[in-house]
Amino acid sequence: MGRILYAYLYAASICLIVLSTTAQASSINTSSGFNMPPGVTEISREVYSLHMTILWICVAIAVVVFGVMFYSLIVYRKSKGAKPAHFHENTTVEIIWTAVPLVILVLMAVPATATLKKMYDTSDAELDVLVTGYQWRWRYEYLEEDVSFFSNLATPREQIYEAEEKGDFYLVEVDEPMVVPTGVKVRLLLTANDVIHSWWVPDLAVKKDAIPGFINETWFKVDEPGIYRGQCAELCGRDHAFMPIEVKAVSPDEYQLWLASRREAAEAEVAGADREWSLDELMERGAGTYNTYCAACHQPQGQGLPPMFPALAGVGMSVDPDGLRAHKEIVLYGKTGTAMPAFGSTLSAAELAAVITYERNAWGNDTGDLIQPSAIRAMLESQ
Amino acid sequence: MLKVIRSVLAAFFGVQSEANRQQDFQSTSPWKFIVVGVFMTLVFVFLVGFVAWLAAN
Ligand SMILES: [Cu+2]
Repeated sequence: MGRILYAYLYAASICLIVLSTTAQASSINTSSGFNMPPGVTEISREVYSLHMTILWICVAIAVVVFGVMFYSLIVYRKSKGAKPAHFHENTTVEIIWTAVPLVILVLMAVPATATLKKMYDTSDAELDVLVTGYQWRWRYEYLEEDVSFFSNLATPREQIYEAEEKGDFYLVEVDEPMVVPTGVKVRLLLTANDVIHSWWVPDLAVKKDAIPGFINETWFKVDEPGIYRGQCAELCGRDHAFMPIEVKAVSPDEYQLWLASRREAAEAEVAGADREWSLDELMERGAGTYNTYCAACHQPQGQGLPPMFPALAGVGMSVDPDGLRAHKEIVLYGKTGTAMPAFGSTLSAAELAAVITYERNAWGNDTGDLIQPSAIRAMLESQ
Repeated sequence: MLKVIRSVLAAFFGVQSEANRQQDFQSTSPWKFIVVGVFMTLVFVFLVGFVAWLAAN
């Protein structure tokens, strides 16, 4: 009997040693994928240590419970002549096995509540960023800085459809990352434009729902420069897996430079509506805009996915010479009751003009229509 | 009365001895257990609220 107990304790301690070395290895190499990352903020490290503490409590309970169970199974088996005891209740034992878990739960709740309180404390933030979830991209608005932009998936379609080798940051790379200064408490105000999304970056220990009509608050403060990646964590439609998050933490000086470059780019975009564009220019710009904003539903070759997402190549208003007005209106104002959003408030006049021109001239839709950004701007301003 | 409170507390905790259970079922009406149960639930809610208030201050 003693031998079985020793064998069990021996096996259990070996398991513990293996587990704890794996845990240590994974905290060095966060990409092992077996554990949550310790992350790069004070809060994320607290969350990680809470997680590990509770894991080890669970492991200890499992060792004791399964130990007693297997010991009884083996030592008091029927073939050894064991006779079952016949008793119905034992109030003392019942009180003990109710009170012990209660005490353990309360002991775990105390540090967990302390960390939760910190996570919810968004006071004294130095930077406010409004994050809006769209199908299927994120928009970042730096409220005090007059900077606002969309952040789109940057992974090429060829990688998604297996025509190319997948990159290191497959599906977790964007065209414009959210840039934040290090050492600054950043408050996020989260909402959504269409359906519920969720902004999740494991390294920051932030996962918060973005709900239309509501504003959720959370915060983070990164100490070390770096790029931290995440994804939308609330099923939000066909491209749910294709709206990643990339947070780039840089020094405060670099952050100021970035702000200036964002403002400059925004001004250049607005100024783009002042001049005449050639067909080639519009087609090139339009192809890029189409692939980022339209191709998910209407497909890269304009064939659509009927009946949900109509085709644009060869049929409908995009090849109809008299359909130009209707075409502009549906792109700018959307179509209620369908999945077609209003892009008038999302894209710049140049992007809108380019994408409409592209749709009317690509894939054999040779209408020859050339839409100038200035015309789109006039349309938007008349609203 | 004290016996009823004891039984309600045992129900809150989830463990009751067979002897006490037999005794409780001697009673013909369940109403005193229901009334004391509702009252004790309110007391519990206020107690939790009070502890939360203490922690917040
Ligand atoms: Cu989403």
